[in-house]
Amino acid sequence: MSTTPLLEVSDLHVRFTTPAGPVQAVAGLSFSLSASETLAIVGESGSGKTQAALALLGLLADNGRASGSARLEGEELIGQPARVLNRVRGARIGMVFQDPMTSLNPFLTIGDQMGQVLARHRPMARAAARAECCRLLDAVGISAAARRLTQYPHELSGGMRQRVMIAAALLCRPALLIADEPTTALDVTVQAQILALLGELRREFATAVLLITHDLGIVAGTCERMLVMQRGALVEQGTVDQVYAEPAHPYTRRLLAAAPRLDAPRSAAVPLPADSRMLLAAEEVSVRFRLPPERLFSRARELQAVSEVSLTVAERETLGIVGESGCGKSTLARALLRLVEPAAGRVQFDGRELTALDRTQLKAARRDLQLVFQDPLAALDPRMTVRDIVAEPLRTFRPELRAAEVTAEVTKILEEVGLEAAHLYRYPHQFSGGQCQRIGIARALILRPKLLVCDEPVSALDVTIQSQIINLLRDLQERFGLTLLFIAHDLAVVREISHRVMVMYLGRVVELAPVERLYASPEHPYTRALLAAVPIPDPERERNRVRTPLAGEPPSAFAPPSGCAFRTRCPHAIERCAEERPALRDYRGALVACHLAGKLGEPGRG
Amino acid sequence: MLRFTLNRLLGAIPTLLILIAVAFFLIRMAPGGPFDSERQLPPEIEANLRAAYNLDAPLHQQFLRYLADLARGDFGPSFQYRDFTVTELIASGFPVSLRLGGLALLLALVLGVTAGTLAAMRQNRAPDYAVMAVSMTGISVPNFVMAPLLVLVFAVLLGWLPAGGLGDGGWRHLLLPVICLALPQVAYIARLTRGSMIEVLRSHFIRTARAQGLAMHTIVLRHALKPALLPVVSFLGPAAAGLITGSVVIEQIFGLPGLGRYFVQGALNRDYTLVMGVVVFYGALIILFNFLVDLLYGWLDPRVKA
Amino acid sequence: MHSHRLSLMGAVLAAALFTAGCGPAEQRTAVPIGGASGAELAERQVFRRGNGAEPETLDPHRATSVTAGNIARDLFEGLTEMTPDGSVKPAAAESWTISEDSLVYTFRLRSGARWSNGDPVTAGDWLFSLRRAVDPATLSDYAAILYPIEGARAIVAGEAAPDTLGVQALDEQTLEIRLAAPTPYFLGLLTHSMSYPVHPPSVERHGERYARAGNLVSNGAYQLTEWVVQSHIRAVRNPYYWNDAETVINEVWYYPIDNQDAELRRYRTGELDMTEKVSSRQVDWIQRNLADEFVISPYFGTYYYGLNVTRAPFQGNRELRLALSMAIDRDVITERISGTGEIPAYSWVPPIPGYTQQLPEWAGWTQAEREAEARRLFEQSGHAAESPLVLELIYNTDDNHRRLATAIASMWQEVLGVETRLSNQEWKVFLQTRRERRQTQVFRSGWIGDYLDAFTFTELLHSTYGLNDTGYASERYDELVDTAALEADPARRRALLEEAERVLIDDHPIIPLYFYVTARLVKPWVGGYVPNIMDQHYTKNLYILKH
Ligand code: SF4
Repeated sequence: MSTTPLLEVSDLHVRFTTPAGPVQAVAGLSFSLSASETLAIVGESGSGKTQAALALLGLLADNGRASGSARLEGEELIGQPARVLNRVRGARIGMVFQDPMTSLNPFLTIGDQMGQVLARHRPMARAAARAECCRLLDAVGISAAARRLTQYPHELSGGMRQRVMIAAALLCRPALLIADEPTTALDVTVQAQILALLGELRREFATAVLLITHDLGIVAGTCERMLVMQRGALVEQGTVDQVYAEPAHPYTRRLLAAAPRLDAPRSAAVPLPADSRMLLAAEEVSVRFRLPPERLFSRARELQAVSEVSLTVAERETLGIVGESGCGKSTLARALLRLVEPAAGRVQFDGRELTALDRTQLKAARRDLQLVFQDPLAALDPRMTVRDIVAEPLRTFRPELRAAEVTAEVTKILEEVGLEAAHLYRYPHQFSGGQCQRIGIARALILRPKLLVCDEPVSALDVTIQSQIINLLRDLQERFGLTLLFIAHDLAVVREISHRVMVMYLGRVVELAPVERLYASPEHPYTRALLAAVPIPDPERERNRVRTPLAGEPPSAFAPPSGCAFRTRCPHAIERCAEERPALRDYRGALVACHLAGKLGEPGRG
Repeated sequence: MLRFTLNRLLGAIPTLLILIAVAFFLIRMAPGGPFDSERQLPPEIEANLRAAYNLDAPLHQQFLRYLADLARGDFGPSFQYRDFTVTELIASGFPVSLRLGGLALLLALVLGVTAGTLAAMRQNRAPDYAVMAVSMTGISVPNFVMAPLLVLVFAVLLGWLPAGGLGDGGWRHLLLPVICLALPQVAYIARLTRGSMIEVLRSHFIRTARAQGLAMHTIVLRHALKPALLPVVSFLGPAAAGLITGSVVIEQIFGLPGLGRYFVQGALNRDYTLVMGVVVFYGALIILFNFLVDLLYGWLDPRVKA
Repeated sequence: MHSHRLSLMGAVLAAALFTAGCGPAEQRTAVPIGGASGAELAERQVFRRGNGAEPETLDPHRATSVTAGNIARDLFEGLTEMTPDGSVKPAAAESWTISEDSLVYTFRLRSGARWSNGDPVTAGDWLFSLRRAVDPATLSDYAAILYPIEGARAIVAGEAAPDTLGVQALDEQTLEIRLAAPTPYFLGLLTHSMSYPVHPPSVERHGERYARAGNLVSNGAYQLTEWVVQSHIRAVRNPYYWNDAETVINEVWYYPIDNQDAELRRYRTGELDMTEKVSSRQVDWIQRNLADEFVISPYFGTYYYGLNVTRAPFQGNRELRLALSMAIDRDVITERISGTGEIPAYSWVPPIPGYTQQLPEWAGWTQAEREAEARRLFEQSGHAAESPLVLELIYNTDDNHRRLATAIASMWQEVLGVETRLSNQEWKVFLQTRRERRQTQVFRSGWIGDYLDAFTFTELLHSTYGLNDTGYASERYDELVDTAALEADPARRRALLEEAERVLIDDHPIIPLYFYVTARLVKPWVGGYVPNIMDQHYTKNLYILKH
């Protein structure tokens, strides 16, 4: 650690003028960062961590004002005109944003976008610039770099795009790299790759890293020091080991406690009655989509989103469905409810064949089948009061109710989900994300359905809120005897609530097992890789974890590989895997679709 | 590419056929005929004319014959302009309309995109308000009002420009008509560009570009312009249709020998073949234009690239 | 829709004009016109005239429009020519003789007359041309003009071959035309473009494309050099014209401008030397600002309302027809509505030389007297005020017609308590409705004489005439018209026609409203412009003064 800090932030304030009055986003943040150091700023949404980073580069929105001081190698950044800051941005401070899908310009080739940075800060001959871009792409682990330069972002996968973002940020060898939630939009296996890459690059380029994240798991494995922010203020700072081991501030303690972790003992799911009968059964359900041509001159494409999935769910059971984005888990759920029409297969619900019902019958059956969505605010009509939103299903299914009775019903269910009668006549935007999700749940439950399908119900929420909602769902399941289909990409969350877990890859089930069996001794190589990629919020364990991140990303669903869909990434693949698709077979209490099931030995876990 | 082009062209045939049929029977349903005039023709003369123009055959036979002629590229003789075939009239009128419309479109694009971009960069400041106010005027003042006013000022009062006619086809004769024709489109394109530019400037990839320290003009020109132009490109189809209808009025006010005038006069005179010719020609033109717009779209947006 | 837009445009323009007033374009007469002497000619003898709608063709035998006629008069020369005072003078024919029975006309062609390509104009060319004019294959709309010539009608109808036409080339320079019946106005007819000669070799070579620039060979003072449809037509002097020495203007440009507001603007910028028309909305402004250049003169036409006498309420109800006519204050209409100096009409034939207008007695009354009589007649007609009469008045869509109809409806309402429903129709629809006579009650109409003779008006209301949309059928009137048609003695013929008009006005199947005028702007440097009732102007008679 050098003696003069690379970055010295003192008493940083960020204020926004909004129609509703001034909002203080960052209040008196002070910290320093030495050269080559990795520092994490941890906080939940609204903690001000991102605004603090944007303030450093003068990238606040038009209505934002920063005050205080931030010195980069002694030079003041706050309040400088764009002309001055433009010599810092991209040159001495590189920045990587959260969403690689939208943070690269879809209209320019990778080469153009990288070349412009060089042209701005390190002018050089065209050929030299090209070579330099290739070098950087190599460094971030992108193969065939020269060809990539001519490609557009949409031709690359999400992980690759984030690598490009990082390469572009490092082009001018900045002293500081700010990474704002760099892996949040990525799948867990890709996240592991990117985190590993950041670690390597930091060493190679001797760059200090300011990592901004909400995920305590990734901080544990990647950073030396951390700051914890809450509502714009710094509440705790220290080395990572220190903070994890002995969190001083109650908020830090709450955060750590709320983070679901795979290594902790599992809080018990609602016990399943022994005589539970079958509520939902699917047989060989497939879903196909026809998509418009990708290119102007090609044919329409057909996408097999779900392939021959069979499952059963017993009454009061929770079936967790996990998989990376695009694996077909949400489509499967929609197909089970016939919100999309399955191309093949049968679905039975409560003794009736859903797939055989006509429109009116289906509508009646929906009363027992309700859905909770991912983005709580977007799922609620902003012009309706909470009472009307929650009461909406009553209008269709119980039109005989009088207004007062409706209000009584709504009040009752609001109280069940932890809201109050006082909330009845407010509008969705007046609620926090967690409260909105409670409203969504109340609305789903007002008809007292038998089955609740939750599609990523907590992934948009902060960790502390996540655990509250999980607890609420568990609680409601017990009280109402609900059956749950719980879809999520977060393996730790699924573990908290499920009785059985189904793992999907490229539209197919690769493993289906009771929760203890699956997490304790995963059989399928993919399940194993997923679990291995989940970061654990414990610096000690993370450091000691032997990790070989799964290479690559899921192939396109338009052209799935022959035989085993996973074989392109599977470390164990053999010749047979390319020729023959493994069937789902029972192996010691788990259904596994792998030719080598049971022959792989114990999974290597940290 | 070739296959796509062929597909599109083949796909256009039914559209054109329907257009032809609808236009053919609609104009025939209108009361009165091409040879009615205040001085009624003696019946023997009218009979001669009807026979010469094949108007005495049953309507469906006339239609089939029209289609057969059309397939050979023959639009038939004009009823009104006795010395010319419709093909000749289109051939003489279209270059003028094309020049007028093409220049107007070009002007509209250059002015509209520039003004819209400037307004977006100075959002809610004086230049923005100025551009928006002017474009609001452009949209709300119809060109049959704008055109005489401009002529009055620049031709009659100031004497700088001619009041009408094509003259030698030079810029002095085209300037006012092109401006009048372009003005509503300039206004629309400016608003469109402003809106989409503001949206693009707020997008994440612009934030990335700013974080890379790129200068504002690089960001606008290299990063934001292309995506901001997409809505403008989509608007080109309607804009072309707008220019065609606009040219009907403009060509009349400025006495330009374009195609637009034939349309109205053909309809009023019940010049069946001329109206049909213009309809079919413009129909085919709009189909072609939309095809070109699609190609342009593909060129602009790599995500739909050929 | 279209015309509505244009009228709105006109209103805006008018407003702008009023505020803008007189600009530099009107004030740039630094040089006194005509130089010091007032008669000095300009160096550039180029005449540019607005010419209304695009001519449908320049083939004289197929052209029908006034605008095509304007050009044809410069390109071609008939046997005779109309002078501004309405008399006929020799043109391509040097002289002629007429037989005792008025049936045979023998023309002596001008020696040395040549086509614009230098070929001599022969009697054979004339024979060819007249036969072509009536040949059904020529598809001539106006072939009926030549019906007075022996055999013409049968040829047009396809019943006889064109060579049966009663025309003979007696020698290179002598042409004989035999008529089917005496036609006192026949020499006048020969000023019409239907009688113009076409150049036989060119017609044979180019067929339907004969009238194009480059193909057209003509015998008039000018020859066609350029025709850009919808843009302009250009003619230059024909060096072979027999009287080329007297021609002053070297070049004529005819601009097709059918919008009078646009025409006025181009006139004001000096792009035109003469307009074809002016818009009645502009008249006030013009009279205040361009009075010196504004030329108004009577025109051979009558604006009238036709009454459908084949159906109620006009069938057999002369009192009602007269009552409606008398209730109209024509002075108000010509002064306040039409407004260009039109002449109130109480009779049918416009005032022309050689004919006495047949005014009814009430033409000389005060309007109050006429209204009193109108009320009396109305009561007599069986329409008391208690059972109000509802009439429908149709007119073709046009702002001027609408204003006039509105005014008349209110006069009828005020004087007689008659309610009038106005209904406008697009031109071609209007023509058809009128012709069908099924629903029509009152319809707007106007008639412009084809040749300078009362007969062109009288004939219109003959029961067998195709254009008699009123359905008027009077035995007495038909008999008078038929007799007049065959009468060779001018005085007797005139008496017959005048009596026919008296019958007509007495029966009143039409309500004459006003006689048309020609109103146009002519630059002060255009010399030789003489207003005349047929509105025919030969460029060869004009000249451009120094300015
Ligand atoms: S079947 Fe083969 S490729 Fe597929 S998971 Fe098993 S070992 Fe890997």
